[in-house]
This record gives sequence, C-alpha cells and structure tokens, in this order.
Amino acid sequence: MRNAYSIADLERIALVLRRQVVRLVERVRIGYLQQGLGAADLFTALYFRELRLKEDDPAWPGRDRCILSTAHNTAIFYATLVERGLMPPALLEHYTEDGSPLEVNASERVGPLVEATCGSLGQGLSVAVGMAINARQRARDSRTYVILGDGELQEGQVWEAALSAGGLGLDNLCVILDRNRMQVEGHTDKIVSMDPVGEKFAAFGWNALDVDGNNMTAMVGALDAARDCKGKPTLIVANTVAGSGVPFLEGQLSHLYLLTPEEAARALAVLEETAR
Amino acid sequence: MTVPTGSESPPSATLGGFRDARLYAREALSERSYGRALLAAALADERIVCLGADLSQPTESYLFRDRIPERYVNLGLQEANMIGVAAGMARCGDIAFAHSFCVFVTRRVYDQVAMQAAYPKLNVKLAGFIPGLTTSLGVSHQATDDIALMRALPNMVVIEPAGPEQVGAAVHAALGYDGPVYLRLQMASQDDPSIPLMPLELGKGMVLRQGADAAILACGMMVGEAMKAADRLAAQGVSVTVANMASLKPFDREMTADLARRHPVLITAENHSVIGGLGSAVAEVLALGGLSPRFAMVGVQDVWAQSGTTPFLMERYGLTAGHIEAQVLALRAA
Repeated sequence: MRNAYSIADLERIALVLRRQVVRLVERVRIGYLQQGLGAADLFTALYFRELRLKEDDPAWPGRDRCILSTAHNTAIFYATLVERGLMPPALLEHYTEDGSPLEVNASERVGPLVEATCGSLGQGLSVAVGMAINARQRARDSRTYVILGDGELQEGQVWEAALSAGGLGLDNLCVILDRNRMQVEGHTDKIVSMDPVGEKFAAFGWNALDVDGNNMTAMVGALDAARDCKGKPTLIVANTVAGSGVPFLEGQLSHLYLLTPEEAARALAVLEETAR
Repeated sequence: MTVPTGSESPPSATLGGFRDARLYAREALSERSYGRALLAAALADERIVCLGADLSQPTESYLFRDRIPERYVNLGLQEANMIGVAAGMARCGDIAFAHSFCVFVTRRVYDQVAMQAAYPKLNVKLAGFIPGLTTSLGVSHQATDDIALMRALPNMVVIEPAGPEQVGAAVHAALGYDGPVYLRLQMASQDDPSIPLMPLELGKGMVLRQGADAAILACGMMVGEAMKAADRLAAQGVSVTVANMASLKPFDREMTADLARRHPVLITAENHSVIGGLGSAVAEVLALGGLSPRFAMVGVQDVWAQSGTTPFLMERYGLTAGHIEAQVLALRAA
C-alpha cells in the first residue's frame, strides 16, 4: 500500500529533510548541500508517497526498488531513510565518519535499501532495467525507480540502458532525472549540451514528462502518470534548483559546498521560518 | 556443415521481408557442450536466466533461447548494459548467465563487473568464449588479459575447463558458488566423446599424470598440449607430472607448493599472458612459500598478437606442446 500523505504533509516533510541536509553538511563542513536541497522534494514524493516499502522489513522482496544512481547525494538520501523510519536516526551521528556505514557515496553497507552500489556514473539505470525485467518475467508488481543525475547523462551506458528499456517497453520502470544543471565543473550546458532531454528519451520509446521538480503537486502528479502509463517506461525530467528552499543558496552551482556555521544558521532560520 | 535441427534452432519466418535464418556456419552442439550443460541446469533450476549480446550462436546460448524464451533476454550489442541488467536480475533472486566473447565480458566491461557483480557478490555468471588466441578475428577479439583482470577482483571465481570433458563440471561448479564467476570457455566443436568426463572442484587442481623430473601446471586448451609434451618427454626418458589447474581462483596453493617441493622443474602453460594469469598465480605461491624449483612460464610473452588460424598463432606465440617440451629440457639442463 502506498502512503496517503496530502501535498501539504509532503511539503512539511520536505522542509524537515532540508533542515537535516543543512545539519549534516554543517557537520562535515563541505558536502552535497546544493544537490540535497534541490532534490528534497523529489525524494519526499518518492519515499513518502510513491514507494511501497516496509519499515519493519527493509528487505521485503515485494518492495518497490529505488536506485540512487549518482550515489553522492547522500545527505538528502540518508536523511530521507531516517525520516521515513527505514534507518535508525543514531546512524546520522556518524555520517561519513571513518568506519561508518554511511559513506560519502552510498554503498550497500547501509543495508538493503541501497539497491545497488553506484557512484561509478551511468550504471544505475542498467541495474534497474534488470530489476524491471525480473519483475516482468516473474509476474511481480514491484516497480523500479532510478534517480539519475543530469551530468550522468553524458555516460554512454545510460543510453544503452535507455534504448533497451524503451525497446522492451518496461512500463514498471521510472527514471526521475534530477535536472539541476550542475556537474563538477559547473553548468551542464557549458560542459556538454544535452537538451532536449525529454525528446531524446521519447525517441527511444519512453513516455517523457517535464515538471518543476521543486513543486510537490507536480512531482506527485508525474509519479501518478508514470504508474498509469502502459507499454513504455517513463522519464520524469524534474527541473530542480540547486539549493532550493534557501534563497541565498538557490541557483548557486557548487558540487561540493563549503558551508560556514554562520551560513548554516541562516539557512536553518530561513527553513524554520518557512515551516511556520 | 550440419544444420541444427528439431528443437535446437527453428528458423523463424520473415521480419519485414528479411529472412531470419538464425544459423551460423558451425556444427550442432555436442552432448558435452556448454550450451547443453546450461540448458540442462536451467531446466532443473528455474532461477537461472540467460542474457545475450547478439552472439547466441557462438556462445551456445541459442539452445536456452529456443527452449526457455521466457527466461532469455537478448540485449543486443550492449555488453556494459548487459552486466548491469544481469546484476539487477541477480539482486531479485535470479542466477544470471551473461554471454559474449571473453574480451567483451571482461576487459570491455571491467568497471561494470567490478561494481555491479563482484563488489556485491551477486550470482552473475560471465560466460566468455574464444579465450586467448583461439580466434582468427585478430587483436580485438583475443583475450590475453582476461584471467588477470578477473583474478584481481575480490569475490570473483575464475574457471577455465580443460575441454568439453570438463565443461559440465565447470557449469556445476559455477552454480555451486553463491557469487560471481568468470567461465572461460572454448566452443565445443572438437569434442572427442571417448575422453572420459572430468570433475572440477573449486580451489582444487587435479593431477592427470604423475612423474618425477618436472611438473607442468596448465589450464584450458594448454592441458592437452601439456599432456602431449609429457608423452614426448617420456619418450626421451623424462618423467613429467601434469596438473590441470581449471580453478584459477580460488587457486590450489597447497597442491602447487607440494608439486614445487617434489619436482626440480616447474612449468606453467596457459593460453593467456604470462602476466597475471596461471603463471603469476604459481609464481606467487613459489615466492611467498620460499620455494625455488627451476621455473618457467609458457604463455603469451607480454605482446599483442596478430590474426591467424589458431595453430599458426600457437606456434608463433609459443603455446604448443613443443614449446613446453623445450622449456622442460632447457630447465633440466640449466
């Protein structure tokens, strides 16, 4: 069963996650702050509404799968798992510390909800295609989701996987493209121009949607539409803003943000204010 | 050429006016081929799935495709994607056999194999064909570093059976290990059914012939060459032990050390570079164990090879019984 949170509930949760992202990055000083804030809404929509998971049984074979293909956006990912009740909160105390299972790039040392160890970019969608084929062959109704980075689209393997998923008509597969237009060296368009992304996937046989990835209503609607689409996999181009939710951070393209304690306090104050 | 008949490969009608012959210029598979062993295993275990990359004929997976199409996926020319797909299926409980030529399931997809199969220790079985110099297609298809690459990955098992007589046992051994396996296979076109079946146990070498003057440790097609060399040496009064080291990882260190202690001369023979393969595995045992027989490695000597027929290439790059024989004699005289 999917959760029945309202849009307002989900928006409140996204604020909680944003505050947690700021706290985690403040703890390590330099981290994936901008990506985490930008993706807070899509993580919320996925983990709190879309994915069928069991808090008391993370390895439940019938669960929906979600692969974080970039693997590095872990502040928001771990915060989400904890808030959703899928991971003990105490683990966050040791985020990225030596010996902690919460590594900078998520690996399956965390447990079964890291559905594949990615981070070597471009591989997550292939694994998801395999999961979707398995579900189809074994007549399971489990769905598979992939959170893909937009810089990651430059990897050739993504297009191999996109071609196969489209050709096989895997309608139990959904990609959420976190289109924050940011990669290590800056704006994606300055590195490799990739638009129009949706049309490219559509040409490969996908149902391509384009939404404001920081609008909860739009995200939830797109996930509903993906589930209703038959015969094709769905790509949701989630146009997100790096640093979303904190005005002085919004739009700052920084792969690894150096967050001062003063900035962290300001960001938390803004997010507290929004929550009221 | 014998055209496969009956259940093996029924050609389909036409697709857009093109005739889909699905035939390949080779003989029907022998009873002891990989293709038949895989099919038999899959009929007995419904967790087994089969992935192809447009090479179902030369990788012998067409038998599976035609008999169990509901568990077969042809991904086309997408080896990198195929490894990820195999891993995704394995994560959901399947035992995924992924097929291509040796070079394309190892070197071409090394990172995918490392991250998606070896690190998570998944049931992804890589079935590679045309090992070493056993292809006329030239350098692009010659796998002379595949054992080295796969051996370096934690969790990975590496098996190279000696011939059709050991292929069934190799498939069985691969299924007996809960994790990734690289099967280095030759096509079974030259099966001699009079050769008795040979077992295979992971981590165990097998002495095929006992001698006292020298020991030859071989794998794959070089086991046959080693046996021929032993015959020729016996005719000269030199008695030779031959061991089949089909389990390249885990490797039988105990047997290797024992052979090194009991023979003054030790030779390795492999259809692979002498860097990182069987020769290196034996050298590691010798060095770490403080053992010092006179030692030589027969194999590809850190060069890229040209194209040609297999007998031509084996002669040119030093992979024949004659080369093994010469090494034994040279070390005995040293």
